[in-house]
Amino acid sequence: MKQKIDKSCGCQIEDILVESPEKSKDKTSVESEQKSDRLCPTSRQDIEIFVDPDVEKISLDFYQKKYTDGLPIIPPTRERLHKFYKYSAYEAQDVLNLLPPRQGKATIEKIAINGVMAGCLPLFMPVLEKAILGLSDPKFNLDGVNATTHPVAICALVNGPITHELEMNTGAGCLGPGNLANATIGRAIRLCLFNIAGAFPGIGDHATMGSPAKYSYFFGENEEESPWEPLHVERGFPKESSAVTVMGMETPHNVNDHRSNTAEDVLDTIVHTISTAGCNNSHVPGELLVIMSPEHAETVDGGGWAKKDVKNYIHENAIVPVELGDRGGRRLDKKWVKNNMVSLTRSPDDVILVVAGGPGRHTTVAHGFGTSCESVTKGLVLKDGSFAGSVKDYLKK
Amino acid sequence: MKVNVTEREVMDPLADFGGEKIDLNEIPPEISKISLFDNTKPNADTILETIGSELKGIDIIHSEKPAGCGATDDQLKKAAQGNVSILALGDCGSCTTWVILDAIRLEKEGVATISICSHKFASFARNLAQAHGAEGLRILEVIHPIAGRKMDEVVEKAIKIVPNINKILNIS
Repeated sequence: MKQKIDKSCGCQIEDILVESPEKSKDKTSVESEQKSDRLCPTSRQDIEIFVDPDVEKISLDFYQKKYTDGLPIIPPTRERLHKFYKYSAYEAQDVLNLLPPRQGKATIEKIAINGVMAGCLPLFMPVLEKAILGLSDPKFNLDGVNATTHPVAICALVNGPITHELEMNTGAGCLGPGNLANATIGRAIRLCLFNIAGAFPGIGDHATMGSPAKYSYFFGENEEESPWEPLHVERGFPKESSAVTVMGMETPHNVNDHRSNTAEDVLDTIVHTISTAGCNNSHVPGELLVIMSPEHAETVDGGGWAKKDVKNYIHENAIVPVELGDRGGRRLDKKWVKNNMVSLTRSPDDVILVVAGGPGRHTTVAHGFGTSCESVTKGLVLKDGSFAGSVKDYLKK
Repeated sequence: MKVNVTEREVMDPLADFGGEKIDLNEIPPEISKISLFDNTKPNADTILETIGSELKGIDIIHSEKPAGCGATDDQLKKAAQGNVSILALGDCGSCTTWVILDAIRLEKEGVATISICSHKFASFARNLAQAHGAEGLRILEVIHPIAGRKMDEVVEKAIKIVPNINKILNIS
């Protein structure tokens, strides 16, 4: 009988019934007792129950291994990863690129693991993938951005209908806190930089003081309340498509202007806030992020200013004296100097102008990493190159 | 009945390395030209000039590159005119990165290199070189800080590494 059970292990019900106490009355009481407490004597257990790892234990373990930003994480189990894979246009072991400084292979699996840890939902996966692809573009200079002593953070902006599908915050408080997608996708990007790129503070990331923007810096454009074309359309994507733009930016700096009622006055307040020495733009001119609130945008647009006019104005007027500008790490190139003033941007295209936020007469500006870091916009496309109208399109592949 | 409670497996978030090993160039037995590759970091020029002034009988080629990003092809081409190229200065994160990455580019072009980094960033520089398959890249350390220091102090720090440079270059 024992042999019979061995052969059928997997515990066919008839074998178990044959071995039940009632059928074993002819055996000694000891033998009967030994058999009766097990459903299957050849397996180590009769029932196996799988439980999730303890969040506190895993969070502490991962923290001590320098895998996290210090906040608790969701344990990245295989089961959770498989939910993320369903929303990917790639296979788990596909490598999107190598991320510096560690030259880590950015596989879909590793991206998903870090996404799970950050608290992302599975349907955030396409956006996270595109952000990582954007960072991999050589013109972004992730080598420099990750390693620098400057407090540059990865600022990512989402455009298109996906902002609604992911229930992103594009309105009041869009730069945080309080929104799941805004908080966790930005955090996931940072965890990918820790664990795939190796850009952990003091090891691969040498920011002298770091930045709160390195926890998460992720938002959507408030296209409905913008008088101008959204960023992805400006960059050649169809309005109905969705796209992710990654930028190397400092923390945001507020521009409070409640009194100006003309475009010129609002823009002058913005320009004066931007025109500071000590930022990278003052010695290596480059991109500049201007997030205008709908109310400021309405005032500026009401004065008849097109988006390109605003960008031109900021480019022409955001300047600092050369003796203050040329104090950065890299020597200032004289080609950026005009009448002893340094322009903080190389051209109007360096002014990344978007509209976001809720009620209130505020604009937020952020200086960039400088000449050697260009923002990258990636459209949400499927494997065949077609634009994904919805995240759910990924499930149909 | 025996019930087994199993904790689900937790996946490792760390990525595998993808860098490919590169062959580093030997220092040529005969050196007639050395390029000094200056990334324009404050006092990088002082360090390179101090070293250059000690290299008697060797033609010096001066080339500049931006800190914090890669050299242009023309800048790299000029630096590659030397039998050996000495790069300075890695004394911050992004400039160290691009001193090392440009040194690797030169090594790939067949030019032996010596990179100079401040001691606070030398460990990162070595890890970076290793990640890019260039373990053993020649990296010399000067005492941090270099930026914001007066010239005579920088010269003093640079002179300390001249014997090491002579040794690497087989100059007696």
